[in-house]
Amino acid sequence: MLDWITGKGFRNSLTPRVCAMVALLIGTAAAQQDAGTFFKQNCTSCHTIGGGRLTGPDLKDVGSRRDRAWLVQFLQSPKAMIDSGDLYATKLQQEARGVVMPNIAGMNPQQAQALVDMISTESKLPRSQFAGMQISDRPLTDQDIAKGRLVFLGEQQLSGGGPACISCHTVKGLTLLGGGRLGPDLTRVYERLQGRKGLAAWLSSPASPTMAPVFKDHAIQPEEVLSLVALFEDSAKRGGQDDTTSLLNFFLLGVGGMVLGLISLDALWKTRFRGVRRSMVHKNDRGEG
Amino acid sequence: MNVRSQVSMVFHLDKCIGCHTCSIACKNIWTDRKGTEYMWWNNVETKPGTGFPTRWEDQERYKGGWEKKNGDLQLRSQNKSSALFNIFHNPNQPTLDDYYEPWTYDYQNLFNAPEGADQPTAKPISMVTGEYINVEAGPNWDDDLGGSPVYAQNDPNLESLTPEQREQLFATERLVFFYFPRICNHCLNPSCVAACPSGALYKRGEDGIVLLDQKRCRGWRACVAACPYKKTYFNWSTGKSEKCILCFPRLETGQAPACFHSCVGRIRYLGVLLYDAARIEEVAKLPDDQLIEGQRSLILDPFDPEVIAAARASGVHDSVIESAQKSPVYQFVKVWKLALPPHLEYRTFPMLFYVPPMSPVMASQDGGVIDHVSGDLFHDIEQSRVPVAYLAKLLGAGQENKVRYALRKQKAVRWYRRALTVGDVTMEVASRMLAEADCSAEEAEAIYQLTSLCTFEDRFVIPPMHREEAIQMMEDPLEHKASAGFGFVSAPHRGM
Ligand code: SF4
Ligand code: SF4
Repeated sequence: MLDWITGKGFRNSLTPRVCAMVALLIGTAAAQQDAGTFFKQNCTSCHTIGGGRLTGPDLKDVGSRRDRAWLVQFLQSPKAMIDSGDLYATKLQQEARGVVMPNIAGMNPQQAQALVDMISTESKLPRSQFAGMQISDRPLTDQDIAKGRLVFLGEQQLSGGGPACISCHTVKGLTLLGGGRLGPDLTRVYERLQGRKGLAAWLSSPASPTMAPVFKDHAIQPEEVLSLVALFEDSAKRGGQDDTTSLLNFFLLGVGGMVLGLISLDALWKTRFRGVRRSMVHKNDRGEG
Repeated sequence: MNVRSQVSMVFHLDKCIGCHTCSIACKNIWTDRKGTEYMWWNNVETKPGTGFPTRWEDQERYKGGWEKKNGDLQLRSQNKSSALFNIFHNPNQPTLDDYYEPWTYDYQNLFNAPEGADQPTAKPISMVTGEYINVEAGPNWDDDLGGSPVYAQNDPNLESLTPEQREQLFATERLVFFYFPRICNHCLNPSCVAACPSGALYKRGEDGIVLLDQKRCRGWRACVAACPYKKTYFNWSTGKSEKCILCFPRLETGQAPACFHSCVGRIRYLGVLLYDAARIEEVAKLPDDQLIEGQRSLILDPFDPEVIAAARASGVHDSVIESAQKSPVYQFVKVWKLALPPHLEYRTFPMLFYVPPMSPVMASQDGGVIDHVSGDLFHDIEQSRVPVAYLAKLLGAGQENKVRYALRKQKAVRWYRRALTVGDVTMEVASRMLAEADCSAEEAEAIYQLTSLCTFEDRFVIPPMHREEAIQMMEDPLEHKASAGFGFVSAPHRGM
């Protein structure tokens, strides 16, 4: 499915699986994956290092907040930590408005160690490469929104080559029939991801298991991110609940289309055989015989 | 010349009394199974009338038979692409309502009903659904309803009549009808066979009987649409189509088919015809007005040495040739030209021929004297209650002269016999009539014998079927020599 979306085709869909198997076999091989790259691909949508909080907390100097063992354990299975009743983990969840950090594919003790090392190194730099995207604070104009609309609908192709948002998502009021239903409704995503910054970070490197492989090699460029943020900000400001009318429209269109189809088939095939006797006898009963 | 033999039939309509014994004989043997209740491989229709299924002759709607397009023969129901396109939903099928919903009666109620003020009745029950039904139609619903405004007036053959003729046909004092028994015609150019996508239908090489292989049939129902006589039927229980088999198991044992054997009016004749298979296609493309002569030309003279030699060459057994020489069908169709094929314009070349019926004589009243004789001796043929045009539409592919010829000859034979036995007509008048009707005294005598005094053996000249030879075309009997007869249903095993 995902490969279909990225247009890679079924032939290549084996590659990630093969990689995963090789990784498992060699064991430490995953640790050899550069921690920086791993962080960039998996973490930056929710975390910065010295860039302030997004969905998850800023990780600058996280080593001073919790000890290494805790961090390594948490990284491998955040949900298990929360479930175990760890107070700090629960607090983190509350701060993130209930969002639980997902288990990250390819995470293992070695990788976690490497990440903790990398974060502490980056924390010492005056400005980390993971300080996050600096999205401008200027008020977003109607032009930005209009451009965001084009990008969302796919009328303007993403320059990275990724699929248009509408293939999986919908935003209320954007189109008559709404967009795709595979991904979540994005009408209020601006609020869910806590504003411009979170949204921009997510868009720059979407981390959900569905989106990550699709956009891994087709990153959304900064100008496009800005326009999309403008669009989402606008739609959240207008308020409105998630889009259910378009679902109804879609259903009604389906029913209407079917009725129309049947009527036109009937008209097209008017001369078909429908039986002889009954009409003959009834015609006579009515005195037309 | 490619000589083949075909078991062919003649129905003498002048003798049919419309008793439906034939239909019942067939039903009891072949179609009293589940799924076949509605089928009447043999049915008897009242003409003018709409028949079974209703208005089956209306090919504008049922799309049966062949039509000539750009000089070529094509099925009306389908071509290659439309057959493929419609394979899962074959159009032009008669609905169950066009046949009828078969029913029985709730006889139990006559015995089991609780005591009440009224006599209990046996209500009709559908044999398809098992529910009580309101009977609206039956396979011979218009039986004897010659003047019925619903049925008789919707007979597709009335197209051939002028408005006056139609009016006269339905004038109360002239009301008329005759019976028209029908079975599968075992055609020479069967459209049912041509239409079958599975190749389940075939015309038996040795006797021309058209059969439907139940193992090969896939229930596409292309044959049901394609047969213009609507003589293949779909069995809703087995999901396969079925048709008249001309009682081949009876024929193979020297017995006449059940409907022939039981016929009360003794209207049915059966015998072998030799025909030229090489010329079928050429003849099938002739214009309508040459079709009757064309079909007659396909039927070969079994006494002609050339024909006999060719027949032998293509494997027709001597005993079959001998049987063809005695065939009553050959006499009626080819020698006397009395019997005509039904609706030859469908171009399937039916091998069942009908002797057209004589209408009741219209008497002329002169004062107190009722007179049956007029100056023009054949006058009542022209003014007969059933117009010649109607019979020509039904039996003559539209050619009135062919029907007129058959009627005049029959009439001449009657008058000849009257002169001989009753004596109210002079032989001189009778001879004049015979001459005018292209008939010699010997021929008249022979027609009289085969029409009125025919024995079982005269009517049914059943050829030895030589199954043992026919089977050799497909299998080598020696292969089966060391095996057990027809094989085992379940083979015996040593031990308990
Ligand atoms: S009458 Fe019999 S042989 Fe002729 S087309 Fe119909 S089913 Fe076939
Ligand atoms: S049994 Fe003979 S006489 Fe009676 S209806 Fe049938 S064909 Fe006619």
